Amino acid sequence: MPKVLCSVATRGRYFTTLPLVLQAIINQTQLPDKLVIFDDNNEPNDMRKEMIYQYFFQMLNIKGVKWEWLYAEKKGQHHIHQQANRMGFDWVWRVDDDAIPESNVLEQLCSHIDTTVGAIGGSVLTMPNVFDISKSTGKIKDIDSEPNIQWSNINVTNEVEHLHCSFLYRAGIHDYNLGLSRVAHREETLFTYGIYQKKYKVLVVPNAITWHLKAKGGIRSETKQEMYAHDEQIFRNIVGLSNKTIVVLNSGLGDHIVFSRILSDIPNPVVFTCYPEIVPGRSIAEAQALFGNIDQYNIYGKMDQWKWKDSLENAYRKLYL
Amino acid sequence: MILIHPYAKTLQNGKQNPKNYPYWKELIGLISEEIIQIGVKGEEQLVPDFRKNLPIIELRQLIKDCRTWISVDSFFQHLAWSEGKPGIVLWSVSDPLIFGHAENINLLKDRATLTPNQFLWWDFTEYNLEAFTSPEEVLKCL
Repeated sequence: MPKVLCSVATRGRYFTTLPLVLQAIINQTQLPDKLVIFDDNNEPNDMRKEMIYQYFFQMLNIKGVKWEWLYAEKKGQHHIHQQANRMGFDWVWRVDDDAIPESNVLEQLCSHIDTTVGAIGGSVLTMPNVFDISKSTGKIKDIDSEPNIQWSNINVTNEVEHLHCSFLYRAGIHDYNLGLSRVAHREETLFTYGIYQKKYKVLVVPNAITWHLKAKGGIRSETKQEMYAHDEQIFRNIVGLSNKTIVVLNSGLGDHIVFSRILSDIPNPVVFTCYPEIVPGRSIAEAQALFGNIDQYNIYGKMDQWKWKDSLENAYRKLYL
Repeated sequence: MILIHPYAKTLQNGKQNPKNYPYWKELIGLISEEIIQIGVKGEEQLVPDFRKNLPIIELRQLIKDCRTWISVDSFFQHLAWSEGKPGIVLWSVSDPLIFGHAENINLLKDRATLTPNQFLWWDFTEYNLEAFTSPEEVLKCL
């Protein structure tokens, strides 16, 4: 059985929807192996002192679910999710602190796991809205012109290109974009689209309903419009290159020489380079400006993450092919 | 003619790069062929013909012209590999199975000297004089 981590990022909802979310997780027909609550409040409380939370922690203990309450860095939920992404579990079920999963959701999502799948989402219903999704494709090119498939009841399993809000994903295969602002606008769209671009299936599945209450507060409670504009621009820059393979070579001369051996195998590359005389391309500064953060292209960080023992050339192949 | 590339990139902390071979002078004393040293300004000159800061195009030509080459683990071993000219790489703390090329002679004294995390900056790795192959062993491969 794959090991599943449930991660909940929370801010400003200690006594509104967060208790409902925790209760719903505890009542799942299939329990996660571990629950981590990332507390991103500006002034976090010690919730062990609160009666209702004491009961939650006792229930988790009795049910054998490991749990941890971590105080987050106040940089936004993308940093939190990336931390969960790297905690060593096979899959991560991310649940918003105002999204209440019905009791069968994790079991339903897990029932669609196979080696070809990278992420699985169910319906995420925001009352009182009911959307007509009969013509929704779930493709990134249609994101501005159609309601998200997850915003209504899903009747059949479908392959899509991006997911919204709460879903189950294969850990460690793609990084969250840490260049986004604290509001992390579009973070889950970029993340799941990245999984899709890595040739994993991204699925929406029926019989897995989460009720999105959209309570006051929340992890995106910043109101600065420039943060949204900043993140939207990064999103547009990345999606604008969706027919390309983005290559960022922010590394040494020798690394560029080794990489040059695989360049011709990469479909439709757009290259950002430190040594254009070895690998022609655009500047690293431009990559930084376009994508906000280029850590996910750091070949040494990737080899460290993968506990790599093979050649540098094959590491580049794993990253880009 | 033999090319030598004796020094890896200077570390940001100013310490000796743990990949730098400590016995170049002894090794050079054992070699009877013409030697051209490749490197950058500021590195110690080991032979009369020291060519500094050459552009890549000139390095490629020198690699084509040489009989073979000897280098520490640096960009040079990758450049020569990309030119299809085999040579000798002197290893110590970095892993030839990851950063090396099978076409070369990769001289590593003992895998026990490899640094546990191969993917951090070399600034964090201590210099270990015991990690290097002797000049006599290098000469046998030349």
